Amino acid sequence: MSAATAVLKRLRFSRELVLLGVLIALIIVMSLLSPLFFTLGNMLNTSRYFVEVGLMALGMTLIIITGGIDLSVGSNLALVSVAIGFTFAAGLPLPLAILFGLVVGMAAGFFNSVFITFLDLHPLVVTLGTFALFQGLAYGLTGARAVSNFPPWFAYFGQAYLLGAVPGQLIIFVLAVGIVWIILSRTSFGRYVYAIGNNEEAARFSGVPIRRVKVAIYTGIGLLVAIAAVIYTSRVYTARGDVGLGLELDVISAVVLGGASIYGGSGTIAGTVLGVVIIAILRNGLLLAGVPSTWQLFILGVLLLVAVFINEFFRRGEE
Amino acid sequence: MSEPEETSAGEPVATGAVPVFELDGVTKRFGGVVAVEDVAFDLRPGEVHALVGENGAGKSTLMKIVDGLYGPDEGTLEVGGEAASFSSPRDAEASGIAMIPQELDLFPELTVAENLFVGRKRPRTRWGGLDWEAMREEARKRLTALGVDLDPTSAVKRLSAAEQQIVAIARALVGEARAVIMDEPTSSLTGRETRQLFGIIGDLTAEDVGVVYISHRLEEIFEISDRITVLRDGHHIRTAQASELDAEELVRLMVGRPLNELFTRSESSPGETALEVRGLARDGQFEGVDLTLRRGEIVGLAGLVGAGRTELAQSIFGINRPDSGGIFVDGEEVRINSPQTAMQKGIFYVPEERRSQGLILPFSIKNNITLSILDRISRLGFVSRSERGIADRYMGELSIRGAGVSDPVSRLSGGNQQKVVVAKSLAREPNVLLLDEPTRGVDVGAKSEIYRLMDDLAKEGKAILLISSELEEVLSMADRVLVMREGRITGEFPRGEATQESVMTAATGGPEQEVPENE
Amino acid sequence: MSEARAQAAGTESGAGFRRYLRRPEAPALAFLVLLVVVFSVLSGKFLSVTNLEAILTSVAVLGVIALAVNQVVLCGEIDISTGSMLGLCAVAGGAAAQSIGGFVLPLLAAVAVGALCGAINGTLVTLGRIPSIIVTLGMLYALRGVILLVTGGTWITGVPNESRFLGMGNVLGLSVPVIVLFGLFVVMEVAGRHSTWGRNVYAVGGNRRAARFAGLPTDRVRFSAFVLVGVFVGVASMIYMGRAGSVQTNTGTGLELQVVAAVVIGGTSISGGRGSSLAALTGAILIGVILNGLVLIGVPGIWQQAVLGALILLAVTTDVVRRRLVGDTA
Repeated sequence: MSAATAVLKRLRFSRELVLLGVLIALIIVMSLLSPLFFTLGNMLNTSRYFVEVGLMALGMTLIIITGGIDLSVGSNLALVSVAIGFTFAAGLPLPLAILFGLVVGMAAGFFNSVFITFLDLHPLVVTLGTFALFQGLAYGLTGARAVSNFPPWFAYFGQAYLLGAVPGQLIIFVLAVGIVWIILSRTSFGRYVYAIGNNEEAARFSGVPIRRVKVAIYTGIGLLVAIAAVIYTSRVYTARGDVGLGLELDVISAVVLGGASIYGGSGTIAGTVLGVVIIAILRNGLLLAGVPSTWQLFILGVLLLVAVFINEFFRRGEE
Repeated sequence: MSEPEETSAGEPVATGAVPVFELDGVTKRFGGVVAVEDVAFDLRPGEVHALVGENGAGKSTLMKIVDGLYGPDEGTLEVGGEAASFSSPRDAEASGIAMIPQELDLFPELTVAENLFVGRKRPRTRWGGLDWEAMREEARKRLTALGVDLDPTSAVKRLSAAEQQIVAIARALVGEARAVIMDEPTSSLTGRETRQLFGIIGDLTAEDVGVVYISHRLEEIFEISDRITVLRDGHHIRTAQASELDAEELVRLMVGRPLNELFTRSESSPGETALEVRGLARDGQFEGVDLTLRRGEIVGLAGLVGAGRTELAQSIFGINRPDSGGIFVDGEEVRINSPQTAMQKGIFYVPEERRSQGLILPFSIKNNITLSILDRISRLGFVSRSERGIADRYMGELSIRGAGVSDPVSRLSGGNQQKVVVAKSLAREPNVLLLDEPTRGVDVGAKSEIYRLMDDLAKEGKAILLISSELEEVLSMADRVLVMREGRITGEFPRGEATQESVMTAATGGPEQEVPENE
Repeated sequence: MSEARAQAAGTESGAGFRRYLRRPEAPALAFLVLLVVVFSVLSGKFLSVTNLEAILTSVAVLGVIALAVNQVVLCGEIDISTGSMLGLCAVAGGAAAQSIGGFVLPLLAAVAVGALCGAINGTLVTLGRIPSIIVTLGMLYALRGVILLVTGGTWITGVPNESRFLGMGNVLGLSVPVIVLFGLFVVMEVAGRHSTWGRNVYAVGGNRRAARFAGLPTDRVRFSAFVLVGVFVGVASMIYMGRAGSVQTNTGTGLELQVVAAVVIGGTSISGGRGSSLAALTGAILIGVILNGLVLIGVPGIWQQAVLGALILLAVTTDVVRRRLVGDTA
């Protein structure tokens, strides 16, 4: 083994440190690209954007650890957003509409899980279908219409400041990170998730309730997507059907960047959070530097490929 | 090597003839584990050479070297008298060596005719396209030569297991093989289909094609082979003419231990019935199985590989579902449709394949042991910190050595890994324990520890089913011996009456009995 | 007695028909025939040559790409980058048409760009060992960005008529897109049945392990399937440009989903090894007919996406149910 590979290997064992390094380097680069970047106000505002992706990435981490995938999260977000907005516009009191939205999100996730667990269909093709179905429903039910006449308190979710300058949703995100991290690392459920991802057959022989776990993680991400939808709708203060496009790329990229193997079996919440932050910083920095959004998508696409490639390169080097 | 020796067919085979292939001094290691060491094996033209040994003896590794899947670490391979070195199965095929693995490696969606030609030069039409007519003709010719009448245009997935086997053989012959290696060819065949296969093998040998026959079915081996080679734990034990051996001797060579008791089992006092199975059947795997396990007794389930023992145990544990019959726990009928249900009823199964079914290799020893009891040691979902203590306790009780409780279980030796699997099952504190080959690939020291454990568990009142292909083990440990053959229970012997002969007879149908014609 | 022997002994015609019902494209084809019958009953104008030709022309782009993606799915992979690929190829061809004109050069430019994209996909999947879903997901967005980079956001307009031949031309009374579609269909059917490469695709997708042991170049087969997609997308992009007369920065958005839907609905199995070019063609036409039919009934176009998604789920579910009922092993 060459010296370079040995050094790289040791670094890999502390993937989170590497990511932290990348994050710092990125911040430096972005600050150079735009003087507006490295201000507290900007940093905190950036966090508004990444909370939505981050919440979904938390759920996606568990799914990817089990070796699955969910391409329908962006469409699910749109569906929940219109579910909230348009039932409210139809007369339902907003708190109930929000509740309804949460139910819709979970039901969509559960819908995915039915095809994946009971019919044993590959998550890829199921969520490809629901990606179209949910988005189609969201758009079809609402057309080009939008709902914006929310009561002022609704803005609290997405636009509020707590403790002075801290965005409200950041607190929600930190809470969610804590909860999911605890679930993944301290509970039997989390252990089951890793077991299924590493060796589903052995997990079955050990009595792991595989079906129940899978239903839970796909329904669970539905709930996280729904919460993200509430925050998003509140932040842009509008509910419309053609949103959420391309979100799944951000979410999956964040998880993979954070170190999870696309084949399943490994991944951490810390890594995912770092991945989310890196992507958010990247997007924000590019935005401030005047880079158009499609260029951002390009960079993200390339980033995803590079991240997966590096992941698997090191993983293979270990075998 | 100057006198011609007689084959079982009575015709002399000139021993001066160059072997089709010959392995000499072959050693192969995987990581730190030696799969085969200093093994010699040769195949003569026109002979059927059986290769026998327990699981893990090195048979498939050896043949994979011949087939070009692995290269030997040491030793030589000669084909037709000349040194050969293969880097892929294609090279082996070009040299005339064809392997028919147990899974057959056919393409289910493609037709019979096409399966014969995948990867090979296909006949072409005037326009340069593939000549299907010619391929179908060739397929028809080959199949008829093998004595079968199959439609070359039907998809392979529609054929029966026996027919698929024949297609696999035809495929080997299209490649003009001089040596055909068959791995457990009859495991899915009926008696009549086996006869047919033997006829085909006879035709092959008449053409001076050599056949390597890997099988656990002793009566077939004695019926069809000219020579037999026995491997044990990666070593070459003996090669002899089939006429020089008998079933008992063969088993002794395979298993290796003299026929004295490995372990002194305590006096058993069986209590009430813990588990009862009535008329359990699963299509194609087992049928009409009645079984009783009482508290405090160890019931041995003997039989050859493929007899249906594992499938039976897995049905009881809820891995697969039986088609008919009933399972009764403590007298009450239960419907077991998942391992969780079985575990709730106090049943636990220790699987055959340690690495792929029993352990999660990247997990720590602790996490492997506690995987089965996470629901019991968690409060509100949180894994209790008593987890570590539990794992430590089992590590001590089972003398698991070689790594710390938080180290990945992949670091342990085979024997210790097996103990981890056993620990996981014990952690659940089941009333009924189904052990499937619990001491396979385990060193003698660990084995006796596992036996002592089984003895203690029985004394505590557990009911144990011991599935094992090691006759000595079954005879030493079991209070009662059940024998399965081709999906049915064919014998039951209380402790005093079970002997090697009686068990082997029930397991194989006996060397004197004919293979019965089914259906 | 197994089915195979019964078939060998059975009558020719009876066995043949029953056998045909088992082909992968049979359910979709039957459904298509049914729909055609229903629509022609509902509207006298449906079954006219002009109308049928119009439908086929409108699905030509989709159909051409589906024929190639079909090969990718058959060998066990997937490609969801075709929408962006179409945009990029159209930009390349459009730029060539704007500056140089003619018909051959733009086509070559589009095909070259497409082949390059396909090669990148293929390399990342085979050498990089990255799952094709991730590769093509990344490329979907990466290519979209490249389009923007190259065009700077401006549309390509004013494409000379001669360059629009592939989309607007007419030969012997038939529209060129339909000729191209059927021409390529025939090529793929023949290749799928009579070329070693075509049969290797089925083998690699059906049992990759056995294919490797049989000595098939599994990496090369998969790589070439991705390149084939690039080439066909290049051709399709010129059909598109011909019909639309211009190229926008969001050209092709969402197409990749329709392509996968066409392949899957037509009967090609998503797990590989089973399917046919006829399945892809049938699926594309079926989608065209369904979406067309929805418009006729008055369902707003905004529901198209939902219908597509539902169809995909329906198709894969029926495949699984069918396999369980028939007892086919995976």
